[in-house]
Amino acid sequence: MLELKSLEKKFDSFTAVNKINLFINKGELFGFLGPNGAGKTTTIKMITGLLLPTSGNILLNNLDVWKNPIESKMIIGYIPDQPFIYDKLTGRDFLCFCGGLYNLSDDFVKKKIDELIEKLRIDEWIDKRTEEYSQGMRQRIVIASALLHEPKLLVVDEPMVGLDPQSAFIVKKLFTEEIMNGTTIFMSTHSLHVVEQICTHVGIINNGNIIFNNTIEALHKLKMERSHNLEELFIQLTNKE
Amino acid sequence: MKQVILLLRYKLLAFIRMETKLTPENILKNLGSGIIYAGFAAGAFFFSKSLIGFLLVEIKIGLFLLHEFISMILFIFFLSVNLGNIIVSYSTLYKTNEINFLLTRPIQPVKIFLIKFLDNFFYSSSTLLLISSSLLAGYVYYFKLSIASFILLFLNFIVYMFSAGSLGVILLLILIKIAELFGVRKVIYGLIISYISIVIIFFRINSPRGLVNSVMQFYPLIDKDNYLSSLIPPIIKLLPNNWLSQTAYWLVKDNFYEAVIFTLLQVMLSVFLFAAAITMGYKWYFKTWLLNLKLTGEYNSKRKEIVLFSIIGKSIFRPQSKAIIKKDLILFWRDPSQMIHFFILLFLIVVFAVSVAGIKFVGLGNFYLQTMIYLSIFLFNLLLITTLSLRFIFPVISLEGEAFWKIKSAPVKPILLIKSKLLTPSGVILIISLGLSFFSNYKFGLLTLLFSEIVTLISAITILAINFGMGGAFANYKEKNAIRIASSQGASLSFLINLLYMLFLIVLLLKPLSEMFLSIMINKDFSSGEILWALLPIIVVSSFIIFLFFRLALNSLKKDF
Repeated sequence: MLELKSLEKKFDSFTAVNKINLFINKGELFGFLGPNGAGKTTTIKMITGLLLPTSGNILLNNLDVWKNPIESKMIIGYIPDQPFIYDKLTGRDFLCFCGGLYNLSDDFVKKKIDELIEKLRIDEWIDKRTEEYSQGMRQRIVIASALLHEPKLLVVDEPMVGLDPQSAFIVKKLFTEEIMNGTTIFMSTHSLHVVEQICTHVGIINNGNIIFNNTIEALHKLKMERSHNLEELFIQLTNKE
Repeated sequence: MKQVILLLRYKLLAFIRMETKLTPENILKNLGSGIIYAGFAAGAFFFSKSLIGFLLVEIKIGLFLLHEFISMILFIFFLSVNLGNIIVSYSTLYKTNEINFLLTRPIQPVKIFLIKFLDNFFYSSSTLLLISSSLLAGYVYYFKLSIASFILLFLNFIVYMFSAGSLGVILLLILIKIAELFGVRKVIYGLIISYISIVIIFFRINSPRGLVNSVMQFYPLIDKDNYLSSLIPPIIKLLPNNWLSQTAYWLVKDNFYEAVIFTLLQVMLSVFLFAAAITMGYKWYFKTWLLNLKLTGEYNSKRKEIVLFSIIGKSIFRPQSKAIIKKDLILFWRDPSQMIHFFILLFLIVVFAVSVAGIKFVGLGNFYLQTMIYLSIFLFNLLLITTLSLRFIFPVISLEGEAFWKIKSAPVKPILLIKSKLLTPSGVILIISLGLSFFSNYKFGLLTLLFSEIVTLISAITILAINFGMGGAFANYKEKNAIRIASSQGASLSFLINLLYMLFLIVLLLKPLSEMFLSIMINKDFSSGEILWALLPIIVVSSFIIFLFFRLALNSLKKDF
């Protein structure tokens, strides 16, 4: 489904992502872990078309994302780490706007918005301007906007930031449902707990290099061998680099 | 005081660091800016010198009328700076994250008020100061005044602007207090009506046409003495714009004493207004900050969204264009600072169009004079188009803000994005431009009118392209205030490029137009082909500029986000 081939991003002389290789199969929930500044957001921004790679390729269903941006973006849904939305639009305005960006028909957008309002429990706020929203409510609207066009690949950057336990539960449930429906999810997170709970595969990036890439079971095995604690294992792995 | 200096130091440091990263792109950008600034300073100098010479020698309006016209322009300028300061100060003193951060630190609110006030004033005024100092230098050079006179005039001008800024924040504090009693919406409407009324009352009391008629009764002695000052209505004599023009007048008349008196009045007013602003800031800033939170909360909870249209729904456009166009319209409609500024500018344009349409052109027996009048009106039209483009087109990309990730990560072609974002504002500006051109030129005859409409259309599209391209190249996604974006360094540079383009047009049009007016005057046959040929270089150069700046905009959309 998604393949990163020798993907590299440099900012002047600083290498943020160092020729990484990853392969994510259809229906996987890939947890992308790493300390602050490891290169997670940079990788995600390259996948979603916000940062131009210095070298390497990103293939989505064997299609180069940067050579076929329109076709690729049609099947990607992106949830950024900061839920920036237009302050003066209502949640509904924003979702309708997003529907238009993906060339969706009005009827489909209306139906889908109603469905997502219910799933994400945003009915009370949907017709208020987003400038009045809390961080968590903004995050829910952004999640809804990413799911609106029923993407085949969901790219998620730190989805749990600013969410209360109830919202976090809703989001985890939603992601699990998406996986069951055949969607692939590439999710960066700091929350090891979330990774253990919902991810099927895990990659760890440190200083721009992939230092672990395997199934969640393999990670569990490593955890049992080394420290019995995922947090300690994560610190061990990322410190070693 | 230590805290104020510390904060100012870090503000300056942040500014310098932001602007001086030594990349080849930045070096080239700064070098280009430097050349354009220098060229423009020289241009403004020669423009001011030549215009004064033209008005005094060719049209013979006399010193008194010249300074009264300067006074009127200064009045409009005062109102613009004043109103701009109210809008910008509201967003920077009450709505920014920086304020939220500073208010949680042990800093007296009045110090924050002072810093942000100075920040606003100097941030928006650097280019204005460059332009005004060059214009003043041209003025001083024309009348062969001393360096001391230049310094006195410059000082007078700076404190004049400072008064406008200080009065802006004073009014802002009062407006927020009043909003508690009457509600936000009424205060906003009241503000718009007040400014429009002030402009109407000013020109009723001090009508340019009445003044010209009164002065002409003394013709040809209009240049003789200062007795004509009795024609200035008493209330106008109390206004600071008049003090500034009087300072200039008395310097020309070699009466330094009177000039110093008017400058002292200007300084005293400025000191008084600044002291009043700081005192009121000390007493009211934090209170009004809290009040603003309360009012905003109340306003939001009571607000019933006026739904002009939904983003989804019938449209002649395809879904992507429809979504972008409608989103931009809704955001514009819901942003009071955009709407207020737009309607005030529209009002000023209507006033200008009506005034120009009513002018009986003088000097019909003088082809050179007629060419000059024609070009002056044309130039003024272009300046209005530039103002509109700079204010509403330049910020278009920046105003996407940090929410731009949504469009950039969506399957939208950059070219479609550009078309959709430009369609509405460009359409409105082009209609206004052609309307202005029509009202200013219909009295010149059909051929001239047609020619003007074509040149205006080409130049308006070029000006739009320049401002759009520059807005993309200097995009600042963190700034939410359109006025601050439109007065940033990039916007100043864009304005200077617009002026260079206008200069190019004037140079190119001067010869064919004067030939045309000469032919009309001596009843010689004049082939319309001759004047239409003059369009060719304009079309070629303008097309190149349009292409160049659209390319710039397109590249800016492809940059990393």
